[in-house]
Amino acid sequence: MPLLTVRNLIMTYEGRNALDGVDFDLAEGELKVVMGPSGSGKSTLLRCLNRLATPTSGQVIFQGEDILRPDTDVRALRQRIGFVFQHFALYRHLTALQNVTLGLRKLRGMSAAEADERARQELRRMNMVEHERKYPSQLSGGQKQRVAIARALAMDPAVLFFDEPTSALDPLMAREVVNILQQLRRDGVSMLCVTHDLYLARAVGGRLLFLDQGRILLEGNAEDLFGEHADPRVRAFFRQEREERAPTEAAP
Amino acid sequence: MSSMLAFLQRMADYWPQVLSGLGNTVLLAVIVTITGLLGGILVFYLSLSANRVCRRLTEAYISFFIGTPLIVLLFLMYYGLPQWGVQMSPLTVSIIGFTMNVSAYNARYLATAYRGLDPDELQAARAQGFSDGQVFRLITLPQVMRLSVPALSNQAILNVKDSSVAFLIQYTEFFAQMQDLAVRSFRFFDAYLVAGAVYLLLVSLVVLAARHLERRYVLPGTRRREP
Repeated sequence: MPLLTVRNLIMTYEGRNALDGVDFDLAEGELKVVMGPSGSGKSTLLRCLNRLATPTSGQVIFQGEDILRPDTDVRALRQRIGFVFQHFALYRHLTALQNVTLGLRKLRGMSAAEADERARQELRRMNMVEHERKYPSQLSGGQKQRVAIARALAMDPAVLFFDEPTSALDPLMAREVVNILQQLRRDGVSMLCVTHDLYLARAVGGRLLFLDQGRILLEGNAEDLFGEHADPRVRAFFRQEREERAPTEAAP
Repeated sequence: MSSMLAFLQRMADYWPQVLSGLGNTVLLAVIVTITGLLGGILVFYLSLSANRVCRRLTEAYISFFIGTPLIVLLFLMYYGLPQWGVQMSPLTVSIIGFTMNVSAYNARYLATAYRGLDPDELQAARAQGFSDGQVFRLITLPQVMRLSVPALSNQAILNVKDSSVAFLIQYTEFFAQMQDLAVRSFRFFDAYLVAGAVYLLLVSLVVLAARHLERRYVLPGTRRREP
């Protein structure tokens, strides 16, 4: 049984369908990358799956449980889903370490010492333990994103969602994040990543979903989709992205 | 100069009276600074309510108290309410009146700072599974309070100075005692000059405390660090 099953998900927003019947599955330990032009509904999709947004209709089964039922414990659901944001969204009044421990202490009821220990494990995994006392304003974009990933991982989520994790980063830092995604993939972490970044989509491997106007147009491996695909919308999107990315793609 | 010395001499003769006045001033200012802060946080919390009616009422509260002179409220309660059989001591009336007024101002400061928060952080907290109350307590309030230290300490200064208004509803605070001394000695100029100097001194203490707070609780990254 897949970890996550999405069937005919529809979300109507201001009179139009931001999501127009999305279907896909995510297996345990799998990474899926959702690509598509701006406004295709990528971010809305993630937000519907953790109920930050409420879909109009459809079915989402997460760990065997229909999470769109009105009696779903939304807060418990969200605690099982790690969410990494485009702009990092670290709590700026807290240090890197405190950013990771807050949820452990307040949601898991850990003591300060337990929470610190657990948080340091994840910060070490993200290679950030020596920066644990720094505030977000003292970290680079790539470092912030690593703390954000540590914050999500510390809660032992069943799946990690990434919402454009590299688009606020310069190419070098974006590579840092891509390396982390590859590492997490090897560790068997289930992940759903929404992105615009062709380099990321290609480098992390995993299945690619192409979302356009609220529908999944096609699904396949990166190598299949990066070729000359029949669908002109997909081709146009990839061609345009390639041109925008040209300077960095030239690098080895 | 010698007249001032003579006045200070006279003030020293009445020191228990002057000191009790000063004590009452500090008492009122400290109480309403604390209750006004707590009230301000409460009003600010209500202003973020998901309920539209609650938000409207809160906004009306803030606008009403910012738009009405405090003295009207104090007179209404102290001289007006006894007509309906409700009698309260000057201190009680002052605390209630000031708290309602100061809460409105503080709530407005906090609401202004709230607009400077990063909506992503608040969404991240909800996505982590925090309840709305936890998001408020753990993310919104700590950030908003730190951003508002200058405005809130300014309000504390106003509280010290404005406490003199309570003199008009028979609260024997410092200014009332100095007024009494002025009338008895006929040294009006000296008395009010000394009164002004003492208020300046009290305010200076608040300013020093505020600077300390600001240095300690400044939100990292919102102000340029010292070179």
